[in-house]
Amino acid sequence: MTMSLRLPHPFARSIIAGALLALLIATANAVGIPPAYAPLVVEPVITAGRSEFDLGPALARAKRENKRLYVYLGASDCPYCRRYENFLAKNADELVPHFKPWIVVDLRSTLSTTSNRLFIRVGDSALNYTDFQQSIGDQRTRMLVYPSVWLFDPQLKPLMQMPAGTGTFETVEEQLEILNLVQ
Amino acid sequence: MRMNSPTVDAPIHRRRVVLGLAALPLAVAPSAHAAIGGLPSNTGHADVSPEWELLRGRLFGARTIDAASGRVQLIAPLRAAYGASVPVKIVSHLAQTPALYVKRLHLLVDKNPSPLAATLELTPEVGQADFETRLRVDEYSHVRVVSELSNGELHMDSRYVKTSGGCSAPPNRESPELIGKTIFKLPEPPTMGAPTTADLTVLHPNDTGFELNNVTVMYIPSYFVRTIAVSYAGRKIFDADLDFSISENPTWRFNFVPHAPGELRAEVADSKERHYTGSLQIG
Repeated sequence: MTMSLRLPHPFARSIIAGALLALLIATANAVGIPPAYAPLVVEPVITAGRSEFDLGPALARAKRENKRLYVYLGASDCPYCRRYENFLAKNADELVPHFKPWIVVDLRSTLSTTSNRLFIRVGDSALNYTDFQQSIGDQRTRMLVYPSVWLFDPQLKPLMQMPAGTGTFETVEEQLEILNLVQ
Repeated sequence: MRMNSPTVDAPIHRRRVVLGLAALPLAVAPSAHAAIGGLPSNTGHADVSPEWELLRGRLFGARTIDAASGRVQLIAPLRAAYGASVPVKIVSHLAQTPALYVKRLHLLVDKNPSPLAATLELTPEVGQADFETRLRVDEYSHVRVVSELSNGELHMDSRYVKTSGGCSAPPNRESPELIGKTIFKLPEPPTMGAPTTADLTVLHPNDTGFELNNVTVMYIPSYFVRTIAVSYAGRKIFDADLDFSISENPTWRFNFVPHAPGELRAEVADSKERHYTGSLQIG
């Protein structure tokens, strides 16, 4: 039996090549926490005027596995988010082992989701950003900044006051400061 | 390190200090600007910086500054919630008596375009020379306090603070009619003859001049509180010479000693030469 390989028509080949290139670019600029960190991705439930992120499943898993939560709020159209995600991707070999005590939760939002539109659900209660921050004693109430990170224990108790943005932990050394709760 | 330099009585004018540093980069606006991640992260809280070496010469000449005496302490977070509003607390480990007292406090942010955020001229009437306020910190920087005693000694403490921004909405500018409103509050009832804590807030945008209006795509002109003079029953408590390194709605927590019922009063002037007053009757 002989096998013949039929090459596609040149036009079709250029389309395939273009599609592959687009896929490569999309992968290089992928939105969200890199897969190496095994993030628990949470997409919002969008209803009229609000995007609601449910932390319930992440908390349940944190309790089951006795792990801490590293909750990341990123926006698909936020350049600072891409910068942090690219930093994580670039340093995954070094950083992923240090994330082992953590469950990384990736809340996927957009810049148009402002503080009055963003809701966090825990169990039966869904609070908007400001009310949620006040309920956990977080100082970042005045302004919603993308990206943002929260550190929680399995009971949703904040482990450390975090800064707005991620620009102060975009080196390996500083990311480790955060994971080690250095204040 | 101990000092034996003479006292310098003339107040130090911050405008002179700004000049040589105006070209430093700035992204103070709490909007979509950020300090670059990856700046030096292993800097010690007590380290010096090139900016500080320059400032030190301009502000204090060759006078010795004791950074190890523990006479003054600066408390600030390594990473604040917002770089535009970094809480700092100055604690003086020295009783404020007429014989020896903290006469002047200089609050500096090494890397800010206008590093001298505040100069406070104190009297023994503060009772205890502790102050709290909020600062804009533009990028990774040391924040310093230099305490000048009535005998001429200079003491210093510093903290290294890391800040950066992200994507966010611009600050609220919806209530211009409230600009200048000056409010006193006492967190605890006053104690006659003893240091009593008070909070002073001036509602003011304290615009830096470096912030872009996202709608007009024009820079918002610099507009900030320049001076605050606080008195009680007609006696000076402290005078503050300020700059836009102080956060929006400048807030100061301070102490004063009420010897009898009287009026706590603040006289405020901003960079447009507008004057405001606030007062609170005590007792």
